[in-house]
Amino acid sequence: MPHAPCPMPHARLAITHYPLPITMSVFVEVDHVDRVFNLANGGKYIALKDIELRIRQGEFISLIGHSGCGKSTLLNIIAGLDRASSGGVILEGREVKDPGPDRMVVFQNYSLLPWLTVRENISLAVDEVYQKKSAAERKAIIEHHIDIVGLRHAAAKRPGQLSGGMKQRVAIARALALRPKLLLLDEPFGALDALTRGSLQEQLMKICNENNVTCVMVTHDVDEALLLSDRIVMLTNGPEAQIGQILEVPIPRPRKRLEVVNHPDYYSLRNEMIYFLNQQKLAKKRKTQAQAPAVVSRNGLEKVNLDIGFIPLTDAAPLIVAKEKGFFANHGLEEVTLFREPSWKEIAKGVGTGRLDAAQMLAGMPIALTLGAGDKRPLPMVSAITLSRNGNAITFSKKLFNGGVRTLEDFKAFISADPDKVHTLGMVHPTSIHNLMLRYWLAAGGIDPDRDVHLTVIPPAQMVSNLKAGNIDGYCAGDPWNTRAIKEDLGFAIATDLDIWSGHPEKVLGVTEEWANKYPKTHQALVTALLEACEYCDDRRNREEIVELLSLPDYLNMNPEYIRPGFIDSYNRGIGEEPEEMYSYNQFYVNKTNYPDKNEHLWIMTQLARWGLAPFPKNWVDILTRVCRSDVFGAAARDLGFLDTAREATSIRLFDGIVFNPDEPMQYLNSLAIKRQIRIEEIFLDSLAA
Amino acid sequence: MTTAKLNRRSNAGENPLAKIIKQNGKKILAPIVAIALFLLIWQLACSGPKPNLPSPLTTVQETWELIVNPFFDNGGTDKGLALQIGASLGRVAVGFTLSAVVGIVLGILIGTNELLFIAVDPLFQVLRTVPPLAWLPISLAAFRDSEPSAIFVIFITSIWPILINTIVGVQQIPQDYRNVARVLRLSGWKYFYKIVFPASVPYIFTGLRIGIGLSWLAIVAAEMLVGGVGIGFFIWDAWNSTRLSEIIIALVYVGVVGLMLDRLVAFIASKVVPADQK
Repeated sequence: MPHAPCPMPHARLAITHYPLPITMSVFVEVDHVDRVFNLANGGKYIALKDIELRIRQGEFISLIGHSGCGKSTLLNIIAGLDRASSGGVILEGREVKDPGPDRMVVFQNYSLLPWLTVRENISLAVDEVYQKKSAAERKAIIEHHIDIVGLRHAAAKRPGQLSGGMKQRVAIARALALRPKLLLLDEPFGALDALTRGSLQEQLMKICNENNVTCVMVTHDVDEALLLSDRIVMLTNGPEAQIGQILEVPIPRPRKRLEVVNHPDYYSLRNEMIYFLNQQKLAKKRKTQAQAPAVVSRNGLEKVNLDIGFIPLTDAAPLIVAKEKGFFANHGLEEVTLFREPSWKEIAKGVGTGRLDAAQMLAGMPIALTLGAGDKRPLPMVSAITLSRNGNAITFSKKLFNGGVRTLEDFKAFISADPDKVHTLGMVHPTSIHNLMLRYWLAAGGIDPDRDVHLTVIPPAQMVSNLKAGNIDGYCAGDPWNTRAIKEDLGFAIATDLDIWSGHPEKVLGVTEEWANKYPKTHQALVTALLEACEYCDDRRNREEIVELLSLPDYLNMNPEYIRPGFIDSYNRGIGEEPEEMYSYNQFYVNKTNYPDKNEHLWIMTQLARWGLAPFPKNWVDILTRVCRSDVFGAAARDLGFLDTAREATSIRLFDGIVFNPDEPMQYLNSLAIKRQIRIEEIFLDSLAA
Repeated sequence: MTTAKLNRRSNAGENPLAKIIKQNGKKILAPIVAIALFLLIWQLACSGPKPNLPSPLTTVQETWELIVNPFFDNGGTDKGLALQIGASLGRVAVGFTLSAVVGIVLGILIGTNELLFIAVDPLFQVLRTVPPLAWLPISLAAFRDSEPSAIFVIFITSIWPILINTIVGVQQIPQDYRNVARVLRLSGWKYFYKIVFPASVPYIFTGLRIGIGLSWLAIVAAEMLVGGVGIGFFIWDAWNSTRLSEIIIALVYVGVVGLMLDRLVAFIASKVVPADQK
């Protein structure tokens, strides 16, 4: 598969990828599809960026998103009517290069030929595709499908004499008559009245169920998507539209249009979609209004209207608490808006382009962005507060559990037993602590994370559905996504980060250096408010209340029972043992959680270099000093009357007992057995932005 | 209440013809009044002692023989008006059929091939603006005979609208129909006659309608120059012998026949083109 040079860091992973396991379950594979249109003025419009989707046989997938997000383009690429600029589509192991009757399309505007009758329209298709069958057989097929859609009385009429619903039925009959492997529907019911739409939806569902047809449907109707789909793929706005979120619809089949609403998950799923679409609408509005949001100065601060990004995770608690409990407002930040972002990639992009003022970031992101990991231009970042520690686990599938895997050693043995089988593990972002820790953990067990297994980037919210679909064998992610898999009996936690590196930095606040220098007082107020919120979060008396806040539709939108384990309740690893009490699983304040520790960031630098994700900077001291703004943290702590002390300069020691000496990072790097080619470069950053 | 009922009853009792006149009164009466006014003004303007043009009444009086005897044949070019018109129509039939066949076939080919279209479009744009009679010397030189020259002038005049409309029609085929063909993998030949031709029929008929009008324009002009039996030469001949009334009556025939040709093509189109595509 050809890959265009992709600016995002994970492209590096994509390029070093290994043959994906072609399991029976993957029927259609949309592999890193980009679609770039050349504009008349010589410019380029990137409609789709890095779309990756796997579809099982018999599955019904809906593509949903705002107009112009490239849903139809994606459908046309799957149909073969359009070609991807890079990446491609594989149907049953063969690349889709041109359209064909095995991928029949039901077009938005029916696309019936107006000079042919209903019967002739269907027979045009049937006669062409079934040339080897006898005339009588073909006629039987045609008449059968006229009956299926109930158009016997109109068989001799031309499309001009039919209503919209009848025309769409003809189009569906024409498509089904060819028994396509894949049925592609482009807003098939968009132009119909509610009654016709309802009955056609039920007919389509019935036909698909009876014939085990695999479907991909483009729609913008959330209820239609919920009624028909097994999975709903939500696309972000174009340009550079990508998959924002994939929603699994667990409503059992056969479904009835009037009964699905009674399913306990229906409204939470619906809310989830509406929330996503609203967020996209807001994002679009922001884009059209002004490139940079207006600056509102008040309360002696340069800017009180802040847009802050977060990812729906338990450890987004400090941001959510600061907003909901008024810590932001107390420190003068009166107009803070929290934006739930679809992926870490979007967070990095949002902060980089100035769409977001600040964001919850993975601990490795400020360093990685500053170093320009993934062959990007270095973007100097600042992190003045660590927001949380721990809170991650490595979840493996039940299949591995049943294969006897309980420990890292078991996994090593399991892999060695069948070296030809590729095991795929998910992590949330190349520069995430999850990736670094997962790699460290694997390497400590003698497993080369690039050669012995295949690592792939999946946003946290899509981990469980990918595990369920069998696309991955395990993943490292924050909670509640581990608990969710465990509660649904899909996986078990083989290790939590308490087992690997207890007290590791997890989430930090990230802003660009330019922003921090432009709004120093605002930055200070933001850090102070978050520090106060972190303290609030770690008081276990407040945790019940925080769970309620987190589970709100605007934030995690999730049943509190998925959030509680580890956060309040004991943590069930899903291995049949008694749940453990893990008091420091979500650590927000105690043990000097919040101090931005240069040594920890240095360890992250060594790991980024170890796996070839970024060069190791010769000028690491300089970079660390610019990224870790302990002065801002100190001022915040003093302001709140908290202790302003650095973490003990003890060396970092992970579970394998190897000590990291922050004074000798190169020596440490060289001592590691499993590593990639390490590049050492001077990273030139722009002079301090004014 | 009662008065309303009575009114309705009296309406229902009207005779159907009166009803049609009442409903379409404007459409029927207005043109009649306009024609009557036109004739009246003409009559008044040309009723002096020595008018330059004959008045309507004089025209009818002088050409009464021609009007009542459209089919006489005295040999040579001395024939009835219907025969003259018939001869002209014959030429139009040959020339127009040629241009229709060539125009549609070429149009479909050029419309489906973008490179070909880019190559020949400028040429067509220049040639289509050449007036019909400008072709005549060239065709006389090429064919060295009046009959094929006249037919060639008809052909070359009427082919441009047919050709250009067919090209546009093929280019305008909705992407949907093409997608259907691509998904079904229709072979080249089937694609032409199952999709391209039917889909461009409305455009083709627009071209044919303009083309038939132009070819009728061209034949009258061409016959004036090349001679022989035909309504064009009849007019020229009448002018040479200053029989103005005959010219006027011939003009009426030419106009009516032109109108009928146009309506004929429109009628065929209404039968052939599906309702959806109009």
